[in-house]
Amino acid sequence: MPFKFVHAADLHLDTPFRGVSAQGPLPGRFQESTFRALARIVDLCLRERVAFLLLAGDLFDVKDRSVRARLALRRELARLDSAGVQSFIVHGNHDPLSGDTGTLGLPASVKVFGPDWEEAEVVREGRRLCRVQGISYPDVEVREDLSARFRRTGDGFSVGLLHANLGGAEGHANYAPCTAAGLGARGLDYWALGHVHTRAEHALPGGGVAVYPGNPQGRHANESGERGCVLVEVEDGGMRRRFVPVDAVRWHRLELPLSGVGTLDGLLAMAVEAVESRCAAELDGHAVRLTLTGRGPLHRELARPGALAQVETDLRERLARSHPPVLLESLRDGTRPELDLEAVRAGGGFARTLLEEARFLAESPEELARLWEQETLGSLGQRLKRLGVDVLEAPRPEWVVGAGLHGVESLHEEEAS
Amino acid sequence: MKPGLRIDSLRVLGFGRFSGVTRELGPGLHLLYGPNEAGKSTLLAFLRSMLFGFEKNGHPERYEPKGGGPFGGELRLTTEAGALLVRRVAAGRRSKGELSVLGPDGQLLPSERLEDALGHVSRELFFDVFAFRLDELAGFERLTEQRGASEALVAASMRGARRLPEVVARLQKSADELYKPNGTKPLLNETLKALEEVQSRLREMGDRPARYFAEKERLGALGEEQRVLEAELLVVGREVERLTRLEAALGDLVALAEARAELESLPALEHFPEGGEARLEDALHRRKSYRAEGARLAERLADVESGLERLSAPSRVRGREEALRLALAAYQERSGLIRTLPARRAATVEKRRQVERELKELGLPVDGPGLLALDLSASVRTALEELATRLGAAESACREASSVRGRARLERERLDGEVARVETELAGLPETRPAQVRQQQAGLGRLRGVRAELERLGEQRTELRRQFEGARTQVEPPPVEVVLPVWWVPAVAAVVVVLSVVAWLLAGTEVAALCLTGGLLLTGVLEMARRRVEAARAATLEAHAARQRGRQQEEERLRSALAGLAAREELLHRELLASAAEAGMAPVVTAADMAAREAALAEALEQAGRREELRREREKLGAEQGRARREELLADEALREAQRRQGALAGELAGHLASRSFPLTIPASAALALWRDAAALKQRLLDVGTEEAALAADERDCEPVLTRLWEEAADTILTSDTEWTTGSPGSAADSGTAMRSSGTVRVVPGAARFANTADLPPGFMEDVSARVASALETARKQKTERQTLDERRRELLAEKARLDGLCHEEETAITALLADGGGTDEESFRRRAAQARRYAELIHRARELSLRLEARTGMSEPLARGALRETGGEEGLRSALESRRARQAEAQQRQKDVLTELGALQQLLEQWENDGELARLRIQEEALKARAAELATRYAADRLALALLSRARRRFEEEQQPRVVQLASEHFSALTGGRYRRVFIPTGEERELRVSDGEHDWSAASLSRGTREQLYLAFRLAVVRDFGETRGALPLIVDDVLVNFDPERARSAIRLFARLSAQQQVIAFTCHPWLREAFEAEGARVQELDSGASASQQASAAVLQAG
Repeated sequence: MPFKFVHAADLHLDTPFRGVSAQGPLPGRFQESTFRALARIVDLCLRERVAFLLLAGDLFDVKDRSVRARLALRRELARLDSAGVQSFIVHGNHDPLSGDTGTLGLPASVKVFGPDWEEAEVVREGRRLCRVQGISYPDVEVREDLSARFRRTGDGFSVGLLHANLGGAEGHANYAPCTAAGLGARGLDYWALGHVHTRAEHALPGGGVAVYPGNPQGRHANESGERGCVLVEVEDGGMRRRFVPVDAVRWHRLELPLSGVGTLDGLLAMAVEAVESRCAAELDGHAVRLTLTGRGPLHRELARPGALAQVETDLRERLARSHPPVLLESLRDGTRPELDLEAVRAGGGFARTLLEEARFLAESPEELARLWEQETLGSLGQRLKRLGVDVLEAPRPEWVVGAGLHGVESLHEEEAS
Repeated sequence: MKPGLRIDSLRVLGFGRFSGVTRELGPGLHLLYGPNEAGKSTLLAFLRSMLFGFEKNGHPERYEPKGGGPFGGELRLTTEAGALLVRRVAAGRRSKGELSVLGPDGQLLPSERLEDALGHVSRELFFDVFAFRLDELAGFERLTEQRGASEALVAASMRGARRLPEVVARLQKSADELYKPNGTKPLLNETLKALEEVQSRLREMGDRPARYFAEKERLGALGEEQRVLEAELLVVGREVERLTRLEAALGDLVALAEARAELESLPALEHFPEGGEARLEDALHRRKSYRAEGARLAERLADVESGLERLSAPSRVRGREEALRLALAAYQERSGLIRTLPARRAATVEKRRQVERELKELGLPVDGPGLLALDLSASVRTALEELATRLGAAESACREASSVRGRARLERERLDGEVARVETELAGLPETRPAQVRQQQAGLGRLRGVRAELERLGEQRTELRRQFEGARTQVEPPPVEVVLPVWWVPAVAAVVVVLSVVAWLLAGTEVAALCLTGGLLLTGVLEMARRRVEAARAATLEAHAARQRGRQQEEERLRSALAGLAAREELLHRELLASAAEAGMAPVVTAADMAAREAALAEALEQAGRREELRREREKLGAEQGRARREELLADEALREAQRRQGALAGELAGHLASRSFPLTIPASAALALWRDAAALKQRLLDVGTEEAALAADERDCEPVLTRLWEEAADTILTSDTEWTTGSPGSAADSGTAMRSSGTVRVVPGAARFANTADLPPGFMEDVSARVASALETARKQKTERQTLDERRRELLAEKARLDGLCHEEETAITALLADGGGTDEESFRRRAAQARRYAELIHRARELSLRLEARTGMSEPLARGALRETGGEEGLRSALESRRARQAEAQQRQKDVLTELGALQQLLEQWENDGELARLRIQEEALKARAAELATRYAADRLALALLSRARRRFEEEQQPRVVQLASEHFSALTGGRYRRVFIPTGEERELRVSDGEHDWSAASLSRGTREQLYLAFRLAVVRDFGETRGALPLIVDDVLVNFDPERARSAIRLFARLSAQQQVIAFTCHPWLREAFEAEGARVQELDSGASASQQASAAVLQAG
């Protein structure tokens, strides 16, 4: 019997947008977008008459302490309930069972998996459509491979619902780490995963597939591009997967080469044109991080104190007036002076020593760590970490390389001036 | 040593006390000697300022001329790139002055040329190392201790980083602006502080969802409590209400008891008639009023009786009203008709008379009745009309036929004329057919064409013959015979042999051989020439043969063309003969004959055409003539037929006229008009008759009506009217006579005063009818009045009877009332009535009280008393009430609290559901985090860059310094006469110079002043040399730096200067003669500076030429 289901994850309802100031009319629109995305997922379920909805953890963020998020989840799931669509939920590291999830009062058709392996069946017209297995995070930090507890229990389509880090994806905490081989060995047909915010599919040995639908609404510049959920159609043992974007507000990271631009006004016009060409009209809004790249005559002008900030302010005002409104998250100057590094290196002198020193530091972590502590960056990193800003936790070799380049460029600029 | 810069001369325009001073310098060692205040330091400052710009305004070394005038000067330099003239003068607001760099030819060069020449040395380094005073030599110590000199030294000796100090300073500033570990102002510190605040506020808010759900639960509990409280309040409220009512009814209970006690004291008056006293009074009053009413009635009855008597007097009209009314109605119905009768009769008579007169005028031999007897019906008229029409038609047909016959005859005569004309013209034309003429014309045309063709052929033949002749005469002669026969060659050979033999014989073998060889060679040449000629002749012969073949072919072609032409000519001659015969001419005719023949043929053709045309016209006219004759015959016949028909119709018309007595001679149209008039008269006669009959019928109808009215009136009204009876009979009799004479007399039996309506005087009967009507009205009024009076009398009588009855009833009622009240008379009755009122009052009050009691308590009196007893009487009731009230108040208070709490809680939850503040704080937190991350990244980048620069500098120093330090060691050793052997900078964080004698080492600070200065000078000289070797040789300018040196070490120093001056310019200033000597001893070029002379005087002095 053919059936459909929708797989979404990492809703992060009512989580604040990063890098978006609280003032002005736009943040409100942005803040609503996670709710809009969930509503669109539910709309999709109703429109496609799916059998069930899978939510693979991080529905909201406990640290957001948002009542609205809980209520919105309850309200939207109630819509599915009244339409006879089941929902399956596991909790992830941001909304573990130790939080307040028990008091949500979700509708009867919503199955919330507990901290131990459970299996539920989806039955329609007296026939079993599918088996759904899942485990929720009991606490924030789960270092165990939870997928090892899953197993195929019988014939028919089997789905594993889990919040996990498959293959140790970069940029995400390594919770419930698992491997493609491990998942494949469990013999399930479809692994509905959450945790990694970038959409991905992994073909598993043995024929199954593990899918990260990504988060349905990007919340900062690193979550750019279209975001949504996955609609899966199962028929005669085969399955067809379709990604459906549901985001209401979209993030973009644009690079704007400076070459050929002579004036700041020209830069402004080019930036507006570049942004508007990328921002689709059907969405509620867009957020853009614009990075100026390349080498050009404007580099010197932009380096003047306050010049970049002024351009950023002007651009932000102009973009905010467009339809749909575009929020300029930041305008970054990634431009470089017209400097031939190879020539500098070949020319020897202090610049070469500087570059060599940078390379030496980048290649010797101990020396770098010593320098890091010596410059009291470690203690600053600790302080930042205490405040929840994970930016200077450990020295990164590329920073030293960057600093070396920066030094060379500064000296070069001085020479040029 | 790299070429750098040398000062060749200086010219002071105005600087300090100098103006217009010129000094020539050059390579090597220079000493400017002068006493104190001679301007040595000023000149040092001048050189520095010329190269790097004036000091800022207010700086002690700016040396701006106090008296105004020009400020600045010129330096003439020798550089790697050639001679430069550097001019710097004060200009505008730029404190550094206006720099101009000029080339050898005076062209303006970019200022970078000067910087290039200076090896891009920094101002600070130049001032510290290359041009310094004694005090600045000591200042080196300070710089060494700080980073400046070290960096400056490094910067001075390395490429690509000469502004390292500035970069480091900028990075340091940027980093400091971003973050300080213990600061509060820097951006990151502020951001972190704000973040901490936001986070603490967030912490204060606590776990909002957990609290939300807990509070939600509490909200449910409170709701439940509120419901319980509501129920309790309801119960208590009811109880309080019941007791309150009971309390309120206490007074009523007492009053009720009192009322019941008073009732007991009164006699039993339950059955005393209700409202007895009032009823008695009412009855008495009514009786009295009834009696008064009876008296009034009797009076009115008497009035009515007298009226009736008056009306009962006798009258003649009474009893006959109906007959009178009928007669009057019949008269009124016909009165209009009756009034018109006389006028109608006169009009009828007049009409008859007029008709008869018109009949006479018509002239018909009949009178009125005769006319009526004539048959003038519509069918007859139709027949007459038809006859007239047909007669008209017959006449017009007759006329038509006669005109047709006339036209046919004219046409026939015209055609006869035409035929005659055509015949005449035809007779005048020759009898030739156009076809024959045309054939002759064609023959003539062909004859002309053939002749032309023959002429053309003749020309062609002549041409061909000419060509043929030309071809035949063109035959070329064959080429000439060979010039050199074959046999010549062997003959020549033989001659040669012979001559050779002769030569052998005469001159010997050599000559013979030579002759033979020469002869044979000549023979060979001859043979070769002959062969060439042979080959050329063969080719010529071949070409000739080919041309001959072509010519023969051409001849053949021309011959065949000639034969073709002859055949064609023969053919044309035959055709010429045939066409000449056809044209009727001889084949040999002149062109003029042909033209004449052609004109004659054209005319003949025209005549033949005309004849053909006339013949066709004659045939057509013949056919038309026959048709015209036939038409004429037909027209004659038609005319005769029409005339016959006309005669028959005229006879028929005469028959008709005779049968109507009309004159027989009149035409049909007149007869028709006559008939129409006669018919009209007949119709009018008939109408008059009808009118007369109608008039007679109306008169007959009116007569009985008039008679009846008259009779009725005469019987009733007229008898009583004497005036009317006497005045009217006479006139009536006259009219009666007139009526009799007309033969329509009617006698009314029994009333013969008038007989005919027509005889009555006008208005008479109207008068009678008016009188009758008025009498009838009077009678009707009297009858109505009597009926009214009768009715009134009956009513009065009935009223009287009713009043009598009522009086009696009242009497009876009063008696009964008194009996009911238990009183014998009115007085006792009134007394008992007062008692009964009180009794009723009490009963009413008791009922009212018990009702009120029931209304207040909801209980009947006994029940209320029972309840009161149950609660312990009045006291018990009050205490119970109090306790219940207290309970109620308490519950109400609790409910109020609960509701308040509920409201607050709901509001709180609602607020949390919307979560505006929390969301805002979270956004702020995230924004601050992002900001902090960005600032921290920038800070880290700055710090890392700083650290990296520091490390790189150290590494660079370690790698590069040995050279500088080695040089410094050498110099210091030389200066101190080998006392100290080594200068070094120990590795580590401490950046200091140390000296060593090989066994011990000292820091610079521990040295004596002189030695320390020697150390710094040694270091400077090392840097100067290193700079010269790596970047460019710059002049070393020292202002009395050797004063603290002992003479030996001073000389050593001067020796070092002199050695250095071999590569780069050294300029020294001193005021000490012993130093001057020492310098002079080392070959320095000395120039003196005067202390006393003013600058202007100095300017006029001769230029001092060194050395």
